[in-house]
Amino acid sequence: MDSTISSRERVLMALDHQEPDRVPIMLGVSNATGIKMTPYKALKASLGIEAPDNYLYDWPELGTAAIDEATMRRLHSDVRGVLDLEPADTLARNRNRPPHSDYIDSWGSGASEIKPGQWFPMVHPLATATTIEEIDAHPWPDMDDPTRVSHVADQARALAEDNRFAIVATPWLLFPLERAFAMQGMDTFLMNMALYPEFAETLLWKLQDVCKQLMANFLAELGPNVDIIKIGDDLGTQQSLLMSPDMYRQVLKPIHADWIEFIKARTDAKLMFHTDGDVFPLIDDFVDMGIDILNPIQTSAGKMADLRALRDRYGSKIVFCGAIDTQRILPHGTPTEVRAEVRRVIDILGPGGGYMLASVHTVMDDVPAENILAMVDAVVEHRH
Amino acid sequence: MTDDTTANPADDELLDALYDSVLSGDADSAIDSTRAGLAAGLQPLSLLFDAMIPSLEEVGNLFESGEIFLPEMLISARAMQACMNILRPLLADAASSRIGVFVMGTIAGDIHDIGKNLCDVMLEGAGFEVIDLGINVPADRFVEAITEHQPDAVGLSAFLTTTMAELATTIDAIDAAGVRGDTKIIVGGAPVTQEYADQIGADGYAPTAVSAVRTVKELLGMGQS
Repeated sequence: MDSTISSRERVLMALDHQEPDRVPIMLGVSNATGIKMTPYKALKASLGIEAPDNYLYDWPELGTAAIDEATMRRLHSDVRGVLDLEPADTLARNRNRPPHSDYIDSWGSGASEIKPGQWFPMVHPLATATTIEEIDAHPWPDMDDPTRVSHVADQARALAEDNRFAIVATPWLLFPLERAFAMQGMDTFLMNMALYPEFAETLLWKLQDVCKQLMANFLAELGPNVDIIKIGDDLGTQQSLLMSPDMYRQVLKPIHADWIEFIKARTDAKLMFHTDGDVFPLIDDFVDMGIDILNPIQTSAGKMADLRALRDRYGSKIVFCGAIDTQRILPHGTPTEVRAEVRRVIDILGPGGGYMLASVHTVMDDVPAENILAMVDAVVEHRH
Repeated sequence: MTDDTTANPADDELLDALYDSVLSGDADSAIDSTRAGLAAGLQPLSLLFDAMIPSLEEVGNLFESGEIFLPEMLISARAMQACMNILRPLLADAASSRIGVFVMGTIAGDIHDIGKNLCDVMLEGAGFEVIDLGINVPADRFVEAITEHQPDAVGLSAFLTTTMAELATTIDAIDAAGVRGDTKIIVGGAPVTQEYADQIGADGYAPTAVSAVRTVKELLGMGQS
């Protein structure tokens, strides 16, 4: 065992801005802090662990592994996840569809396979829509389908009774902006935000209404057995923001604020917001809306590289989760470089609590197993 | 605003209207201004060089300085494309409208095309003939296109760390086929860095669509207008 305090206590201390025995590790629980199937298989092989190649959300096309318990222990992951599922008919339809044909989800959006095993979101059911009538006419998914959440209460209760690991829960992509990208295509929806602002705003609120139905059901099943709820929306790019701060504050921030209020009215869990890229100019807005945890701290993007500035300005107001670079260090660094980077990040963000270590987004197919192990072992070696 | 290159104040008004329409991303009014300009006897080259190109350059400047963002840049690019669809057939005979040939594509295994499409428009706006091979383009398709079009430069785009290695594969294939010659190869996309571009033997690296124009012109010894 790592120490005398449990993983759950370690996470809760960090979330409470107290410094635990070591920085908590968030790994393997959602698509934002998960591990893709290729590195998961490599990990199992190098560790001599035999476990099935299961996928998060029971969804092979997403490609993110459902990590077995033995591997989670070896990775010193301090969290365990509770997720939703697509409706039974959607799962069955996709399981039984012709090989290599498009994967279509319950929203009508989907992914195409561009080479064996490589799926990209390319099916956008509202790609040409620009009117509110077209939004109304879309066959929106049934969020009350029992398959979505029927397993949630038992899973969460078992984790809570076990009481060893912090419980992170997140239904798949209840993110209004990214849902809009899925429905229309990213470039199309961004243009519509500029060309047809009323349509774009109406679509975002409609998506949020649909998301709320599922979130309400999901939270009701979880009850008190949850520590962190993850939501998000990618708002940054490699160099700056996806949209102007003015556009964010006029259109999207009220939607995010409403969403956060809706969730916080139904749970005492901390709220983790996942948003890629350089989002430095919006962190005050995140704090303002009551976001507790910011993920993934993409250090390779613009001003997010300045961890000291992040800590000095926001360290007392928000918890950071992430910050281990997946664009260069994890895929291309040596294990020694990975260890050095982990120590560097912990030395800046770790003191005083308020930091959970994670890779910046999911560990992708190009990350060697030895670098994943170097990352987590460096955390355990670098106790305070 | 536009230079005073026309003697006729009515022509200047048309050029100014076209400049403003592209800048604000109003495709309908940009099309109207283009048609009105042609109807009034303005040369296609004048519409291009005295209104559309300066407007797109300003869009690029505003984007780089953080005054506009992707939504605004995308709609300006769309307005520019709509006008180019009208002008392109008229410019086909005017060799002076073309400062070079550029082949562009997103490499195999990757489907991300927003950056690539913006590069297309910025480069066409800068006077290049752009041949876009699309997304998920295998290395041998780039080799074929270089052989067929003899471009001055080739742009390779990759968005993911997992597909970035295909940049090296594609450059190696171009070299191995012996078709590189004087063609300059530019790489770009979210995870790509100058260091990586150097390492895989690219001639240039462009982190944004705006910088792509600058980089290509520098590599081709054209300087920035």
